[in-house]
Amino acid sequence: MEAVTQQIPLEHFLVLSAILFSLGVYGVLTRRNAVLILMSIELMLNAASVNMVAFAAYTSPEQFIGIIFAIFIITIAAAEAGLALAIILRIFRYRKTANVDEIDELKW
Amino acid sequence: MLEDLDRIGPVLILMVSAGGILLVDLALHERDRRWLPFGALAGLAAAAIWTVVLILRGREAVVFSGTYSLDSFSIFFNFLFLGVAGLVVLASADHVRRLRYQGEFWTLLLLATTGMMLLAGARDLILIFVALELTSISQYVLAGFLKDDRSSEAGLKYIILGAIASAVILYGMAFLFGISGTTKLVAPEGQASIFALIAQGESGTRAALFAAMVMLGAGFSFKVALVPFQMWVPDVYEAAATPVAAFLSVGSKAAGFAVLLRIFYEGFGPDSFIGSDWSNLFAAFAVVSMTVGNVMALLQTNIKRMLGYSSIAQAGNIAIGVAAIAASGGGVSLGASGVTFFLATYVFTNLGAFFAVIVISQRLGSDAIAGYAGMGRRAPLLAAALAICLVSLTGIPPTAGFVAKLYIFNAAVQSDLVWLVIVGVLNTAVSAYYYLRIVSHMYVSPAPDEGDIVPSPWLAAALLTTSVGVVAIGLVPFPLIKAAERAASALG
Amino acid sequence: MLEEFGRAGFLLLFALAFPLAPILISVLLGALKIRPKHPNPVKSSTYECGVETVGDAWGQFNVRYYIIALLFVLFSVEAVFLYPWAVAFRQLGLFALIEAVLFVFILFVGYVYAWRRQALEWL
Repeated sequence: MEAVTQQIPLEHFLVLSAILFSLGVYGVLTRRNAVLILMSIELMLNAASVNMVAFAAYTSPEQFIGIIFAIFIITIAAAEAGLALAIILRIFRYRKTANVDEIDELKW
Repeated sequence: MLEDLDRIGPVLILMVSAGGILLVDLALHERDRRWLPFGALAGLAAAAIWTVVLILRGREAVVFSGTYSLDSFSIFFNFLFLGVAGLVVLASADHVRRLRYQGEFWTLLLLATTGMMLLAGARDLILIFVALELTSISQYVLAGFLKDDRSSEAGLKYIILGAIASAVILYGMAFLFGISGTTKLVAPEGQASIFALIAQGESGTRAALFAAMVMLGAGFSFKVALVPFQMWVPDVYEAAATPVAAFLSVGSKAAGFAVLLRIFYEGFGPDSFIGSDWSNLFAAFAVVSMTVGNVMALLQTNIKRMLGYSSIAQAGNIAIGVAAIAASGGGVSLGASGVTFFLATYVFTNLGAFFAVIVISQRLGSDAIAGYAGMGRRAPLLAAALAICLVSLTGIPPTAGFVAKLYIFNAAVQSDLVWLVIVGVLNTAVSAYYYLRIVSHMYVSPAPDEGDIVPSPWLAAALLTTSVGVVAIGLVPFPLIKAAERAASALG
Repeated sequence: MLEEFGRAGFLLLFALAFPLAPILISVLLGALKIRPKHPNPVKSSTYECGVETVGDAWGQFNVRYYIIALLFVLFSVEAVFLYPWAVAFRQLGLFALIEAVLFVFILFVGYVYAWRRQALEWL
């Protein structure tokens, strides 16, 4: 059996990751709920992970740098999500809302 | 391997003391918590001593197979970050004593400093990313540490925008990795590095490289607060505790510019085929940052918000130096040393201004600029310290800020960026209005209240250090300029 | 390439048919009046491993679950780091073992912290 890298061109993965990243950006810009914005950011981070792993498999298959990078991305994404959720919870306790349009005490 | 660990000893010491403080804090009684700042200071001092010993033994080297570089650049920034952290520990000791979670505060402060020190020496995209997040995540928590309504809001804005910036940086890094097949900015002899592959300059990689450059530029511009990625700055500075705001204003800026120099100057190189592109990018950032920062600062009535916008304008000044590096067309440029020197003076100046604000706001119970009227009579020494820092931020002799601005403008002129210098000088004139307005307010307007304002011994020590530093660098700038030039020479 | 996707597609069809067929047969038998139809409340309630259901699936969870979830994420991510080390354990040798022990020790510090700050308590 041929390796996947010979059957599917790299571009497919890059397009997939570009679509994921764009979906994430779109979500960040249009969603008003802080939790959903956070999920969109996770989508952007995962798009970068897909890119890393795809590049690692195609351009330097004998090394693991890209895959190691992806593992670090997973870890840090988890840390960021955990912290952001904690902050959202605390804001919810004060304001009874997670809508970013209503979290507007500080401006200009 | 022990040889390698020796080189990152200062970083390891800070990590161990951060963890140690966290654990010791769990076992301490409430009244014994006041000893924790001494623990933090001891950790910072030990890290500084280790760095000095490394210099004396001449241990500069690239370690962990090209991942971390202990050179004059990272040593310079090690001292800078240790100094910042030390001064912030002095300035926040009183503030932290009123908090419920004290050990956590010191731990986060030390961890953020650790991340910054790693950033300044990082030569590998993975280390840059992990160190950046170590710094950022600690700072997100510190920004929301007050746990009140407004501080939480600032923390949320900071973390959401920061996470977006991280994702953009990461996507750019993925492209860099994809083009070159390596994450090393500069590799040892015989190995591939991003720099070497870019120097070959195949036209097919240009588009991907351009995309990566724009993404990295945008992401790091967020970290150093360049317009149009500055939205978080005034909110976070206003709502976070003032010592934390002081730390964020200088720490993340210095670390961000250090890593920008590593990636764009050392990694991409000024004479690579993409050099003039990133030079133009930062020239544009510099112009909009200075203009927007200064104009918005004019309108502020809250001094912390004003300092927030002023720090955006100062980031614009520093970006002039970054733009100057590549604009010279590959010749020797003062840009990198200009950025390094400017950051060092900015650290003293801005910390000093924030420390004075800590003392005055504590007494007044508000951050309104109106409250500073007559401060020259109520607290002559304090007002003098604040005035020195504001004069230095404007860039008037005989202060550090003047020399730094002169140096960085000179670098731009030598790189044929005269138009950028003209914009910079015009902006300095605008900034003089709002900086000096506070000075005149303190000395000319009558005081609405009476009563002396006396800083605590901790804050007095911090204020004395910064004010003396600002004037001393202004009068005798050459040792520091020499050090900055030596630091920058390690990159180019 | 196509052949492999074809195999996967075949599996997909089979997996769909497996639950759908009994349902269709049941509907068919009901329509032909072969299957008796005597519904009662117990029969038409949701089947959940034999335990009686409480409320619907859209109930609110206590926010305290958040801390538990966070700790769970932490330790699952820890496993991500230990897994590659465990796979290449023999080649990596003593140094990697020391590194892994240090890594787990740092996590242990975090665990002690969470424990002492009552993050693991359930009221």
